[in-house]
Amino acid sequence: MARIIVVTSGKGGVGKTTSAAAIATGLALRGNKTVVIDFDVGLRNLDLIMGCERRVVYDLVNVIQGEAGLNQAMIRDKRSDNLYILPASQTRDKDALTLEGVEQVLEKLSEDFDYIVCDSPAGIERGAQLAMYFADEAIVVTNPEVSSVRDSDRILGLLASKTRRAEQAQDPVIERLLITRYDPNRVDSGDMLNLEDIQEILAIKLIGLIPESEAVLRASNSGVPVTHDQDSDAGQAYSDTVARLLGDEKPLRFHQLQKKSFLSRIFGGGRR
Amino acid sequence: MSLKVDQTATAFTFKGGMLPMTVMELASSDPERISAQLAGKLSQSPAFFQHTPVVLSVEKLDDTSLALERLCAVCRSHKLLPVAVRGGSEGIKQSAWALGLGWFPPQESRESRTLASVTPPPSPSSVAQDVGHGGRIFRGTVRSGQQISAAEGDLVVVGAVNAGAEVLAAGSIHVYGPLRGRALAGIHGDRDCGIFCHELHAELLSVAGNYKRLEDIDPSLLDTTVQVRLRDDQLSIEALV
Repeated sequence: MARIIVVTSGKGGVGKTTSAAAIATGLALRGNKTVVIDFDVGLRNLDLIMGCERRVVYDLVNVIQGEAGLNQAMIRDKRSDNLYILPASQTRDKDALTLEGVEQVLEKLSEDFDYIVCDSPAGIERGAQLAMYFADEAIVVTNPEVSSVRDSDRILGLLASKTRRAEQAQDPVIERLLITRYDPNRVDSGDMLNLEDIQEILAIKLIGLIPESEAVLRASNSGVPVTHDQDSDAGQAYSDTVARLLGDEKPLRFHQLQKKSFLSRIFGGGRR
Repeated sequence: MSLKVDQTATAFTFKGGMLPMTVMELASSDPERISAQLAGKLSQSPAFFQHTPVVLSVEKLDDTSLALERLCAVCRSHKLLPVAVRGGSEGIKQSAWALGLGWFPPQESRESRTLASVTPPPSPSSVAQDVGHGGRIFRGTVRSGQQISAAEGDLVVVGAVNAGAEVLAAGSIHVYGPLRGRALAGIHGDRDCGIFCHELHAELLSVAGNYKRLEDIDPSLLDTTVQVRLRDDQLSIEALV
């Protein structure tokens, strides 16, 4: 049986798709057979981040509506044999997804895979609720700003009531917090919420902290998940996150202000 | 105005009534389909759709995907006025209440309730006695968008009430944690109850309809442990030591 992990946030633009791609890649690199599903029907992005947009033939909606088989729609990642992508449809909308259809797809995938990562659309409507409904675990992506924290709080409320686990009174969905775009400099100057404040409000376990990094945009635009860029702080932070997801203990990194060395202050050495 | 005057001249009396009501028995939870069908009916008999009150019956639905708020909007846009919901899960009941709608139990179990509602409403003195019974304890974080209520008695929250969340009680509200959302005590008019919290940062505080917004709260009281109660029709917030 596969573990079903939903990557969700409520608010848009906080890094759900980037995180879903990076975490799925990290899980696959550690030897787990992983599939990442784009639930953002109508605003397909995951294929771009994963660099497989030119290989999309069939999509999730085709599979649900019986127009294509799962194996026809899944795309094998170029860089990792363990990783598959199930893209969303760009020409349809979220109403094309049905609860039964999603259940059947996830059940079928569960037979073959260790991890199923669901990349949720933004919002709290049908698309987001379908993405989270069958989840065993949830990674709630939050930026260090008040609106993102409040939306994450809302999503946590839905995870506790609008999922199969909640409705069937099973063990609740395991909720984990992933803070992205964290900039210790701006936290220090008071522009951004700090780690402790976010954790105090959301009151769930922190699974990772991804620093604001140029590497993320570079990775998105080149279609290579940032986990592959192990020279970058963000790439390392995602690897730490995946390690914690798999049960390893990893100390938190990149959350403290780095004192710039004398030379870098003179030469303006930026972070990678 | 003194209290004595209020007690002698009653502003209203409760009476039982049986009014005819249209029940909208839903066979689908898809707002688009409902909207389309309503549009068809509207053209057939426009006279019917004049802000007619309706009860939405969801008994025949698997309501996991039911978007009550959207459904109400669809009804209103066709000049139907949803006033209550019948049947459905605990979640439906809560969201009906959150939308300001009434909730009726499903038809099978309704008989006993109808009898109960025919019995005369309790006199004010027995209402006062009932307060303190019932009540509710909630353990955990009340999150943005969630509404936790105690229709009778006090509500105790062991945890935080986050911004965008709402806690309501017929009696007092006790929050053993930060209160960042809205807290409404004495929702049925009990003026002797209060709000108690460990860390005050509430968006709104209300006791028996008298309220204060976050903006009205003395900043020196923020993030402290306080009690809120009514004094001379004014909401007073005092530090609890």
